[in-house]
Amino acid sequence: MPATATPRAPVLQADGVCKAFASGKLHTQVLNGLSLSIDPGELTLISGPSGCGKSTLLAVLSGLQKVDSGRVHALGSELGQLDLRALEHFRLQHTGFVFQGFNLFPALTALEQVELPLNHMGLSKQEARTRARRSLEEVGLAHRIKLRPSELSGGEKQRVAIARALAKEPELLFADEPTSALDAANGQTIIDILHTIARTHGTTVLCVSHDPRLVAHADRVLAMEDGRILSDSRRDAVAPKETSP
Amino acid sequence: MVALARKTLVYEWRRFLPAILAVGFAGLLQLLQLALVLGIFGATSVYITGSSADVWVGFPGTQSVGSGRSIDANVESRILMDPAVARVEPYEWIDGDWRGTGDTGGVSVFVSGIDPAAGGLMFSRVLPPELRARLAEPDAVIVDRADLDKLGVAMDQTATINGQRVRVVGVSSGLRGLGGINVIASLDTARRLDTDAADNGPTYLVASLRDPAQADAVAVRLRGSSAFGPYTTWSAADFAHISVFYWLFDTGAGAGVLFLAGIVFLVGAVITSQTLVGAVQGSVREYATLNALGVGVGALRKVVLEQAFWVGALGLVGATVLGVLLLLAARAEDVPVTLGPLAAIACIALVMGQAAVSGMAAMRSMRRIDPATLLR
Repeated sequence: MPATATPRAPVLQADGVCKAFASGKLHTQVLNGLSLSIDPGELTLISGPSGCGKSTLLAVLSGLQKVDSGRVHALGSELGQLDLRALEHFRLQHTGFVFQGFNLFPALTALEQVELPLNHMGLSKQEARTRARRSLEEVGLAHRIKLRPSELSGGEKQRVAIARALAKEPELLFADEPTSALDAANGQTIIDILHTIARTHGTTVLCVSHDPRLVAHADRVLAMEDGRILSDSRRDAVAPKETSP
Repeated sequence: MVALARKTLVYEWRRFLPAILAVGFAGLLQLLQLALVLGIFGATSVYITGSSADVWVGFPGTQSVGSGRSIDANVESRILMDPAVARVEPYEWIDGDWRGTGDTGGVSVFVSGIDPAAGGLMFSRVLPPELRARLAEPDAVIVDRADLDKLGVAMDQTATINGQRVRVVGVSSGLRGLGGINVIASLDTARRLDTDAADNGPTYLVASLRDPAQADAVAVRLRGSSAFGPYTTWSAADFAHISVFYWLFDTGAGAGVLFLAGIVFLVGAVITSQTLVGAVQGSVREYATLNALGVGVGALRKVVLEQAFWVGALGLVGATVLGVLLLLAARAEDVPVTLGPLAAIACIALVMGQAAVSGMAAMRSMRRIDPATLLR
């Protein structure tokens, strides 16, 4: 259990979470009784070797996948109790996602990519447009809003993807290897943006990454191996605090 | 609302083109097939559609115009007694064996004996008045221009029908029939050509009404009596339908049309749904991202359905333009094609139905959308 206590109530909490995948006769236990709590407004980095279960952890914490046993609480809701439709609604209202691939529609301009999910949140056309424009300005793409993905660089595409998540004004932002497809300079830009989002919007950012540069910007770093958390360190801490899995 | 479906369709038009072409050509095939069949089999009711009679009177159980039996001539007075009736005239149908001057052998003809007087009802829509007046000459007949070669005659030449001499006094168009060649004569000429001793009355009586809109009601009202021997009545529209449907299903052509329509529908739907499935697969990661962001699967399905709708609509526009051009070309070449509003609506419904079925088939492929797969 992470030993760090904070005065604020956690926004994300996992209790004894287990998740396994079966492929034919092969049974792989990916998460093994993992418990964790994440505080609001922090940029938390989950790192670890490939196959350690960090992406699966992100999937169950964000409500994209159900757990086999244990419980996940997000913003006071127990995700395991929600049906598919309710989970979609929860994600629509409270979460943003940034993936390794940018996953932008080839036919839409940057502005339309960001507007599209906002349309489904029940915002007015005008409100959606204003928010989309503001988000794109925030990630430094004010001058590129009319361009399609084929006219944008990799770093710009990822910034559009971040703006798409950010415009929803989510309490929770999940990012999966957001810098791994980018060069050093673009990677740094993305890291700075994620950091700023946590600072200025009070958004809880949960990021899975190998990228060592991200460590310097994270408020908290969780190291994972074999479906457990090996270490849990805070930026203000002098040395990483060892935790018993 | 960002018009994802439409913008994708425009931006990736090459991807959707095969579906639009498939829907369009399937629609075009359905349209031409229907127009041809209606055109060809519409010829079996040319006696009705080419005339201005509102009500037909004939032998009970008659299944098509060509299979009538004679009725009592006195029925005419019964029909005339009805105040709604404006005019009644007899119509004789006689099967004949034509022997022309050319080397044509015997040709099976249908002789229509009509009233040659000005204002006559029979064939009023296909016979100009001066041509009709020429029928008053003894032994005069009129045939369709397109049938002259088959009959082996030219204008003003003579031939024989059932051994009796006739003379071609004029040609018209729009008289072509099915199963035999139509020959028009006056009632007097026709009766002389009739070799069947059992025929002692007209094959039909046709009537025009003061108010043509009352045709159905008057036809029902005139049916009641049997004092003059067996007869029944139909409105012109009903009798035309009976004739066309009799031929359509008696010849098996109707079943053939339906079978072919089914095949064309299926082929078009398979190509269209495969194209749409391909489009969904090409965007599966983007759809999954939207779903991760909370956009429901239902809303994503709507995008595919909307794309299917536009594919159908664009296909329809193409099919309409090509179809109209081809139908005009067919008309110019005397190919019998007919397309009424009902048939056109049926074609539109088929095309849009095909697009809808394809869209729904493509929607099934959206079950593979799982945002968790993006976290790998």
